[in-house]
Amino acid sequence: MDVEAKRIMALSISKLYSLRTQRGGLKLHRSLLLSMTMRAARDIYHTAQLLRDAEEEQVVPCAPDAAPEEPMEISKDSPQTLTPKEVAMKPQETVEEDKENRCASERHSRKRRGKTALETDFLPLKKAKMETDEEKQHLQGEVLRTNNGNSCRQAETLTAFPTNRTIVAC
Amino acid sequence: YAAGAGGGGNDVQWCFSQVKGAIDDDVAEADIISTVEFNHSGELLATGDKGGRVVIFQQETENKSQPQCRSEYNVYSTFQSHEPEFDYLKSLEIEEKINKIRWLPQKNAAQFLLSTNDKTIKLWKISERDKRPEGYNLKEEDGRYRDAATITTLRVPVFRPMDLMVEASPRRVFVNGHTYHINSISVNSDNETYLSADDLRINLWHLEITDRSFNVVDIKPANMEELTEVITATEFHPHQCNTFVYSSSKGTIRLCDMRASALCDKHSKLFEEPEDPSNRSFFSEIISSISDVKFSHNGRYMMTRDYLSVKIWDLNMENRPVETYQVHEYLRSKLCSLYENDCIFDKFECCWNGNDSVVMTGSYNNFFRMLDRSQRRDVTLEASRESCKPRQVLKPRRVCAGGKRKKDEISVDSLDFNKKILHTAWHPQENIIAVATTNNLYIFQEKMN
Repeated sequence: MDVEAKRIMALSISKLYSLRTQRGGLKLHRSLLLSMTMRAARDIYHTAQLLRDAEEEQVVPCAPDAAPEEPMEISKDSPQTLTPKEVAMKPQETVEEDKENRCASERHSRKRRGKTALETDFLPLKKAKMETDEEKQHLQGEVLRTNNGNSCRQAETLTAFPTNRTIVAC
Repeated sequence: YAAGAGGGGNDVQWCFSQVKGAIDDDVAEADIISTVEFNHSGELLATGDKGGRVVIFQQETENKSQPQCRSEYNVYSTFQSHEPEFDYLKSLEIEEKINKIRWLPQKNAAQFLLSTNDKTIKLWKISERDKRPEGYNLKEEDGRYRDAATITTLRVPVFRPMDLMVEASPRRVFVNGHTYHINSISVNSDNETYLSADDLRINLWHLEITDRSFNVVDIKPANMEELTEVITATEFHPHQCNTFVYSSSKGTIRLCDMRASALCDKHSKLFEEPEDPSNRSFFSEIISSISDVKFSHNGRYMMTRDYLSVKIWDLNMENRPVETYQVHEYLRSKLCSLYENDCIFDKFECCWNGNDSVVMTGSYNNFFRMLDRSQRRDVTLEASRESCKPRQVLKPRRVCAGGKRKKDEISVDSLDFNKKILHTAWHPQENIIAVATTNNLYIFQEKMN
């Protein structure tokens, strides 16, 4: 499930990127749908990541240096099972993941560079339970309603097309 | 409407009549058909393409000696409606592709239609010239002035017949009304005004006035980051000149009454069906986006098309459609692949027959679907060069969703997703349909006995 989510996320990002070069200007409808799908996939993927790592941590001794943001996030939201130490993700994977997100954001918006620390905003604020469809729906709905801003701002950036770029007329 | 003509999609047998367009498989992008529309009498059939051209076909007057042959459609007029443009301020190219054509009801000898690309709407006048004045007093027939000394008598020019010439001239150009891409236009029953819709706004124009329009719907949020839905289509009610609907990318339809307020941001009715949670997937948002909305001729119903289904709504019932038809449900398990190849974003149109008993919409593999409302039956037909013999009856096609494939069935994986029928049109009175494949226009007729 999260493998698919990751794939769809990557696919969506590359499609959003290629929208910029399409003839006829930014297609708002298409970019909106792509953004929504990308965010839905991203949320599933992150939720799955959290769960998986949380499960693993319960079995495997934790690593002392964990990425600071994410454990804090989890402890806030899942008091019943995890302490910050226990939740320490495999640091590499977290960093890698952040890199992935960082790259994606950078590609789309130069404004986002300073905001990578806030990428944990993507993580669902509710308890990281992934069981029911209803829950998932609610999560997705919640994310779509909150102002994460990554993709919509991207739409705005794309609309305000940088005029210092040379466009080759066909 | 003719009693027998519009009835029973499945009692009707469809046969091939004509095909227009190039035969070769290598399709030039400019030739891709982007819109098809019959005029109000059905005598004229217009197509628009990606190259900005409009081609109008005219139905020949019936051949009384051969009643089996319904009259054919032949080219009547061809003109370049829109050219590619460049917006220097935004550094953007504006495509010349014709997004929609809508005919005006005929008022005099000339025909009028509206054609639009992403940014500009044009009113075209199509008129016939079959006579010309001859015998000018001061000029030769070729236009040169005669030597004054040779003119000794007065003569008055007379009209003499000439070969029919059909002229198209742009009578109005409606510019700068839209920031976003225009997706639809709709002529009002008052024949004076029309609507144009882009992703976020709908404007009301008067056909005589080009330098201003009135914004009736604006769903642009103050902060674009909060954007969650866009407008996908709009249409005026066929009889009530104050009523129109618009559909959204979230699968909702809003009905607006222009008498209620000048700005119709607040709808009079909201048509929305609750989502089926068991069908939820990553792509639920995309496939619920409505690609087309059409009122029935009688004005009591409207039809919407989303990626997998056609829904018929009763204007008096907002909470769910009265009928739902699956167009190609076998694609539901393939949504991820269709997302990959971008097919999931294809915008299919739909249309009603003359008496609202049958609806039609396109699919992939050059298949199209006839959905009979009165008999609750449906059939899948194919527009193919293989079934092009005159009056050849179209055989129903079947897609095998899974399991053992029967003879004559085609499996889902064998479908050609590059062959899509997005645009179809139904003659307003007769059982004649126009179906556009990528670059060909097929005309099918009811089998005559």
